Amino acid sequence: MSLTLEEVEHIANLARLRLSDEEKERYRQQLSAILEYAARLQELDTSQIPPTSSVLPPRSVLRGDEPRTDLTLEQILANAPQSEERQFRVPPVLE
Amino acid sequence: MTDYEIVIGLETHIQLNTTTKIFCSCKADSWFDPPNTNICPVCTGLPGVLPVLNQAVVEKGMLLAAAMHAEIQPVSYFDRKNYFYPDLPKGFQISQYDRSLARGGYLDLPMPSGYVRRVSIHKLHMEEDAGKTKNAGRERLIDFNRCGVPLVEMVTGPDLRSADEAAQYLIRLRQLLRWIGVSEADMEKGHLRCDANVSIRPRGADYLNPKTEIKNVNSIEAVRDAIEHEAARQIREVEAGNRIEAWTLEWDEDAGVLRKMRSKETEADYRYFREPDLLSLPITDEWKERVLAGLPELPLERRARFMQAYGLPEYDADILTGERNLSDYFEAAVQAYGGDPKRVSNWLMNDLLRMLNDTGRTADQLKVTPQYLAEILKLVDANTVNTSTGKALLAKVDQSGKAPRAIVEEEGLAQVSDDSAIRAVVQEVLNESPKEVESYRAGKVTLMGWFVGQVMKKMRGKADPSLARGILEELLGGG
Ligand SMILES: [Zn+2]
Repeated sequence: MSLTLEEVEHIANLARLRLSDEEKERYRQQLSAILEYAARLQELDTSQIPPTSSVLPPRSVLRGDEPRTDLTLEQILANAPQSEERQFRVPPVLE
Repeated sequence: MTDYEIVIGLETHIQLNTTTKIFCSCKADSWFDPPNTNICPVCTGLPGVLPVLNQAVVEKGMLLAAAMHAEIQPVSYFDRKNYFYPDLPKGFQISQYDRSLARGGYLDLPMPSGYVRRVSIHKLHMEEDAGKTKNAGRERLIDFNRCGVPLVEMVTGPDLRSADEAAQYLIRLRQLLRWIGVSEADMEKGHLRCDANVSIRPRGADYLNPKTEIKNVNSIEAVRDAIEHEAARQIREVEAGNRIEAWTLEWDEDAGVLRKMRSKETEADYRYFREPDLLSLPITDEWKERVLAGLPELPLERRARFMQAYGLPEYDADILTGERNLSDYFEAAVQAYGGDPKRVSNWLMNDLLRMLNDTGRTADQLKVTPQYLAEILKLVDANTVNTSTGKALLAKVDQSGKAPRAIVEEEGLAQVSDDSAIRAVVQEVLNESPKEVESYRAGKVTLMGWFVGQVMKKMRGKADPSLARGILEELLGGG
């Protein structure tokens, strides 16, 4: 189970990461090792075992439909890299 | 040329009309609010926050699923759909992937030309909306008001066969959403958004050709136009010997053209996995029963019942069940009246609907209650007032909110059915109009309407018109 360099580049692109050639090769080996480990786990016969997507009791906590305000606009915009006209300002999206 | 048929599937995003967002307590509706009025650490994706599911979202989702005849799942899960875009502060959208709220389902579309198209539902799940971004010069501004607003995404099978059927699907879906009260379904406000998957094939074929996806067709007209354009384009390509490629297109409503969009990520690129911050969502039979007890009779069921139980023509039944309020009004009026339901329907469709349209109200806001409409009909039936006075009464009751009978007494509107009183006025009219009397006697019998009109005018509309006509015929000596 070995990843190709193209696959690593594709995954990096999805995560919006720019990697050097050296990093690509390093992550290719690390990710391949993780996949190999997962492949080994998949060899186990788990057909008789119910799936465990969480170790917590399978019970969602629900919230009533009541509005509440938390922080002020100023407090939240304080976390923005830049802001303008009450809005978060970011660089334009390159299509 | 080959005879082609269009194969269409629609993906709709429905904004639920809950008070708050799906995973936080921010107000969901921001239509009249300035940017970033309804935001908090959860919906702006600050580190360390946890989503808490809104019970009302699940319950409205359940109502919609049941109305679509889908099977509500005893356990469903939320998943992360990962992609990077500035309108999504967390870097992922919380959605449902393989174990969603409901499975299966369908919507029947009675088409105006008489057949019924059954559209299957492939997917029905809950998810959060993203924010809004707009370019401002060389920057991009982001408003997170819409981020975390609850949506139900519903995807149909490739079951629609024309642009008209696709339009009809949206019309019926919008009607249903408002009827069961889960969404305002205002397409202009983005409460009901639609993408269309379009392909063509020779008529009668049972395989599917590569399809294109048209994004952002957000009005009924846009859906119709965009699909027609795209099907025509595909036919031209195929006829020219070219292959259809799986493009993503965008409909430019103003220019009336389709533009190719940057190709999107594929399904695998979203790297879905279970949302670790939310637990599974079990829906017990008890909860389900309690919620679905609030599901009203559905519009198409009521439409069929109106035709069967009240003997209404399909046309009447369709209009009267266009809105739940209107159909409730009709039924209450029929009950209060006790006479011919078609008569109630006629008055509703001819007069009250115009009043509603002119004033932008719904039937439950009328001061002419169903009981008052029934009372007016009975006054007309008993010849207490004639038909035109009855219609004038509708407006008077709607203005004053007074009972029709009280208005008749107050304003002395009761019809004069006294033979001698009418006879005296008829004689007066004949004396004043010797020329018309002569023409009538010479054979111009169409003047009868004019004579009746003159009598009514003199009696301020209160004469019994059939009595007046009888006396006129008698005194004019036939034709
Ligand atoms: Zn929030």
